[in-house]
Amino acid sequence: MPNFSINIIPDHKQVTANEKESLYHAMVVAGIPLKASCGGKGTCSDCKVLVREGKVESLTTGMLTEEEQKQGYMLACQCFAQSNLVVEVPEESKLTEHRIVLSNNPAGGSIAQNGDERIGILEEEPERAGEGPDIPLFKRLFLKVPEPSLDDMEDDIGRVIRVIRKETGVELLRPTLNVLLTLPNILRQAGWKVTVSLAEGKGYKSVEITGVEPGHIEQKYYGLAVDIGTTTVVAKLVDLESGQTVGIKGTYNKQAVYGDDVITRIIHTNEYPDGLRELRKVVVETINELIEDLAKEQRIKQTDIRTVVCAGNTTMTHLFLGLDPTYIRLEPYTPVVNNIPAVRASRAGLNVYPMAWVQCITGVASYMGGDVTAGVLVSGMAFAEELTLFVDIGTNGEMVLGNKEWLISCACSAGPAFEGGGIRHGMRAMRGAIEKVRISPGGAKVTCCTIGNVPPTGICGSGLIDCVAWLYKSGIIDRSGNFVSDVKSPRIRDSAEGKEFVLVWSEKAGRFTDITISEAEIKNLIRSKAAVYAGIRSMLQMVGLPVEAIDRVVIAGGFGRYINIRDAIDIGMFPDIPLEKYSYVGNSSVKGAKLALLSKKARDMLEEIAKKMTYLELSIGNTFMDEFVSALFIPHTDLGLFPTMQKR
Amino acid sequence: MAVAIVKERWTNKVLEMTIGQEPNAVKVGGDSTLPFLHFEGEMPNRPVVALEVWDMEPDNWPAILTEPFKGVLDNPVAWAKKCADYGADMICLRLNSAHPDQMDATPDEVAATVKAVAEAVSLPLIVVGCGVEEKDALILPAAGEAISGQNALLGCATINNYKTITATCMVHGHNIIATSPLDINLAKQLNILINEMNLPLSRIAMDPLVGALGYGVEYAYSIMERARTGALNGDKMLAIPMICFVGQETWKTKEAKTEDNEEWGAQARRALLWEVLTAASFAQAGGSIFILRHPESLKLFNNNIAAMMKQNS
Amino acid sequence: MALSGLQIFKQLPKTNCKDCGQATCLAFAMALATGKASLDQCPHVSDAAREVLDSASAPPVALVKIGVGDEQVELGNETVLFRHDKRFEHPCAIAIPVCDTMGDAEIVSKVDAINKLVFDRVGQTHRVDMVLVCACSGSPERFVEAVKLVAGRTAYPLILKSEDPATIEKALEVVAAKKPLVYSANAANYQAMAALAKKFEVPLVVQGAGLDELASLVEKVAELGCKQLILDSGTTELGQVLTDQTQIRRQALKKFRPFGYPTIVFASNEDPFQAVIDAGVYIAKYAGIVVIDSVDPADILPLITLRLNIYTDPQKPIAVESKIYEILTPGPDSPVYLTTNFSLTYFCVAGDIEASRVPGYVLPVDTDGVSVLTGWAAGKFTPEKISEMMNTCGIAGKVSHRKVIIPGGVAVLSGKLQEISGWEVLVGPRDSSGIPSFIKQRWNA
Repeated sequence: MPNFSINIIPDHKQVTANEKESLYHAMVVAGIPLKASCGGKGTCSDCKVLVREGKVESLTTGMLTEEEQKQGYMLACQCFAQSNLVVEVPEESKLTEHRIVLSNNPAGGSIAQNGDERIGILEEEPERAGEGPDIPLFKRLFLKVPEPSLDDMEDDIGRVIRVIRKETGVELLRPTLNVLLTLPNILRQAGWKVTVSLAEGKGYKSVEITGVEPGHIEQKYYGLAVDIGTTTVVAKLVDLESGQTVGIKGTYNKQAVYGDDVITRIIHTNEYPDGLRELRKVVVETINELIEDLAKEQRIKQTDIRTVVCAGNTTMTHLFLGLDPTYIRLEPYTPVVNNIPAVRASRAGLNVYPMAWVQCITGVASYMGGDVTAGVLVSGMAFAEELTLFVDIGTNGEMVLGNKEWLISCACSAGPAFEGGGIRHGMRAMRGAIEKVRISPGGAKVTCCTIGNVPPTGICGSGLIDCVAWLYKSGIIDRSGNFVSDVKSPRIRDSAEGKEFVLVWSEKAGRFTDITISEAEIKNLIRSKAAVYAGIRSMLQMVGLPVEAIDRVVIAGGFGRYINIRDAIDIGMFPDIPLEKYSYVGNSSVKGAKLALLSKKARDMLEEIAKKMTYLELSIGNTFMDEFVSALFIPHTDLGLFPTMQKR
Repeated sequence: MAVAIVKERWTNKVLEMTIGQEPNAVKVGGDSTLPFLHFEGEMPNRPVVALEVWDMEPDNWPAILTEPFKGVLDNPVAWAKKCADYGADMICLRLNSAHPDQMDATPDEVAATVKAVAEAVSLPLIVVGCGVEEKDALILPAAGEAISGQNALLGCATINNYKTITATCMVHGHNIIATSPLDINLAKQLNILINEMNLPLSRIAMDPLVGALGYGVEYAYSIMERARTGALNGDKMLAIPMICFVGQETWKTKEAKTEDNEEWGAQARRALLWEVLTAASFAQAGGSIFILRHPESLKLFNNNIAAMMKQNS
Repeated sequence: MALSGLQIFKQLPKTNCKDCGQATCLAFAMALATGKASLDQCPHVSDAAREVLDSASAPPVALVKIGVGDEQVELGNETVLFRHDKRFEHPCAIAIPVCDTMGDAEIVSKVDAINKLVFDRVGQTHRVDMVLVCACSGSPERFVEAVKLVAGRTAYPLILKSEDPATIEKALEVVAAKKPLVYSANAANYQAMAALAKKFEVPLVVQGAGLDELASLVEKVAELGCKQLILDSGTTELGQVLTDQTQIRRQALKKFRPFGYPTIVFASNEDPFQAVIDAGVYIAKYAGIVVIDSVDPADILPLITLRLNIYTDPQKPIAVESKIYEILTPGPDSPVYLTTNFSLTYFCVAGDIEASRVPGYVLPVDTDGVSVLTGWAAGKFTPEKISEMMNTCGIAGKVSHRKVIIPGGVAVLSGKLQEISGWEVLVGPRDSSGIPSFIKQRWNA
């Protein structure tokens, strides 16, 4: 079979492919990943490309519009080279690095800072500074070990343990064989002055003595906190002595090419004999690349990273460790393990100190993972008097309600709509994404603000919420999300998929086509917001409390960064309680992982949180479905639940 | 031992709806308690019953149902008069001829029929389309205009066609039937949408798309009970009368259509009981307007209502 | 009133030890609140807490058992006023009377007719539950004979109706082992009747003239040691029965103990049609036992059907039957749509096909009544299951083409489904509201 050479523009990368290999596959293998919410099965329209030169065979056009087909777009996953090619990959098809969730400073800045424009936009709470590590997972101690004598004939390691115990208060200590092999000489050569390394592994009662080195070792040592998200992976490099974050990196999860959501990925492991291994390999690769970047940037050795804590949803932790995720999705939804014991980095495949312990934060259920446990820790809700609602919206919506006495949690498939999934012009919150929309009555005037203040390429979650809120406020759609028939505007038009509203005309956008939102997409968004609100109400119902009982709402995740809470309340996504009760914690998953790196107290709290968190399975009984249908309305069928909206 | 009677303290009552014109107007709703609990609150109007009249001859009615209307089934005016003779409170005129799979009658054609029936009988009218949402959005405005100002009840408006039908009711002074399938929230949403077009709630009747006995009675039964308790507890968007199309559901069941047999007994008795028992259960759940088909059912059901309306301790 | 999950939780040890089988104390509390767990499953609950919780969790309506063996009738344990609040637990029993003034042959033929009132509905058998034997002759001996005759002829539990304790005693001496229900203890005879019910360990109807007398009688009978009671407020007038039944249920839920038992009502309207309709009202409105004098299947079938409907568990997702549905008389060229059997999903799809004016077939795949995406996520809407339904439902015989439309939300299934079923798979719109425009543009058989 001949291999064809494919020139990818505008990046001018070279890829080879034979006639049986789709362009999509060839490019993914060559490290030019494309978006594909369907995982390259020809059933979405994410991986569209333009073949500029050469001959291809294209199987189907999938979900491409007629307009796109006319312009020559094809689906890379359905295209097979028949000659050498020149292929153009448009910006919106690329799976690029995410610029969100990394820092406390908004990447954008296009939003006017004056007047009431920022009302409802939450600033991320700063990381609590000044809390030094209490007992980190890895620690070095410089010790003076008492020399033995005929009065004190205790064994060498016993003397070391005695001093460590005195210094740290740790009762159970256990040396590795490697330490014992070299211990007598090191102790004596160093004049009984040594630096010991201590490592704690979750699930093991004793702290491990992993090294005894002569003299006072000054070299710094690090821990890595990782948030393994379905979409993005974020890693923080933490100086374990000072407790400071010295570097942070984020990238997309390379599993994304196997599908957008956890279900598609679980199915992938079932359908392909090598599926689980593949998925494990790419997520480990993703983390290793972050490790490499961080180490390079900080000019440290990767082996200076002596411990790793990962927080992820249950499917992600299963795939990361190569555990069978099959039963996560099948009734009655049981994962292999919620409380995963620590494993060695070499076993996990991470390129850090090979004997470093890698731990995953304990989860609660199939759809309630360690990332949420971490978030609950960061929110402080599990140890507070006030009733707090914690909301983390990503591909799935996870919600926790409670206080120091009890915690109840639920997960709803909010769908990927708020991450731009399933929306033709949807995109993640990155440069060029419309993150704010205002529409004047009747749709005469539309104002869009983009992240980075550049020409718009698509709409991100916060922009989509604004869209729904303002299409309703401007009288263009009714409370069910249908276009109001007697409103006439050139922006409202019929398309192949029903009615749509033009947000940005093509000449103003940095692209070939107009940026639009259709009636079906609006309904999809309403379903997503309804799922979130219905989840919240189902938990409240279960404990018999009204919405007003909520003292505080903590929003987590990248989605929350630009979101206008006022608009989100107005469409009925979040409870109508005063705005000042809302706060934003950013990526609480990686923050919680960092706390676990540094503090024994935090680690104990995480275990306690996971133990006391009650998981409410929403598919049992009719409560959720009933709440869901009543929330399929702007803002809600029970208008009394949204008094603020009613007043205006 | 004196038992202290438990009375719920309801905070709201169902709105009263008037259909038709004095002196023949019919009033429904106004309840301030659950159905027939006279010890607790008012039920100022008894549930009312309409008999169905079609604008074309039905072709799949069993003989026991066509028998009482022999000779008038092809004449809506005569049929309507017959229904009045049988003691119906209202006439429910069903514009089946407009159905695209039937005669696909034009708006003008059905409007003429509606007008003729309205002129021939003094009873208040319920005018129901052919059930095809698009077509109903065309014919009901014409029908509404033909009997402008007569305060009829027009339906069925769904989420997909309520706008034109609501507009007709506004302009020509009619009431509307708001229909939604099997879900109290969807029903309430439609009420809100119609009300937000400025048609007063007192002019909307809610149709929960009831099923017949054995064919999902319980779904509508519970939706109606929920709607009624919601209404009495202050939910204004549910505090409107409910209408039950019992006849059309009953007479397509196997139980109503199967002839006499040993296992199920005589068809006539069985079918009548099927229709009346379906209606009687919905009356217990809060139904106010009932559309039946058989005159004998009308009589039996009215007896039941009369007994239920008797004041007691 | 019943305690909420949170109120119960406050009484529990809050150690989250999992010894009860639940993940947390709160989960256990919620299970207790909904009656899915019993307090005995928690080995660590304190005595003080047990006292509070036991009395709170005692059912407001006592469980009463009548008869023995397979035909035993259980009544009570009801916890709600409206079925949508949770569910009605024990279906109302239907009892049919025979009278000891009837001749033996007449009794036998009526009992046989009662035995024959068995109906099949969606694969399940439904029937009447009890036979009431009425002592109208005034002769205890004749009554005993009639009772013997009936008991020998039917397996259904009996109700023995006489206000004379001596007559009841004679009958009980013969049939007490079958645990019949004794009707009834009233103001005049309650001591003797209660003594009999205790002696023979049989359930007893307490009949009072009105709610006030009923309440005091129940208290007296209960003091005499009878716990298996059925209440009769003494009226047969339709509106009054509704009032009394409603009051008894409401009071029971408020833990007014004298009314914490199931009830019995006689549908004794002289007009046989109205009697059936009255019985229907009683079935809907809280009656524990309805007595109706008819063995005509045309009367009993509607009543049994109504009972089945009212006592269906509303907590189960509303599902439609998984079979071919024809919308607008489709033909061999008509499109075939796949969806799940969640009723709301099905009705949306069916409604939008109707709106498209293009006739079509809908195949709702059995996903235990969950929606398309949930079904897909939980492995209930898989290419294998879909394909199996397509093969078994007979759609291949109805259409001449081999094309099927799947919901846009599960476009990922298309490849595999095509491979397994051999049908061409078209990916439909994500939302059923897109069906009309989709079908106009994309369908040609």
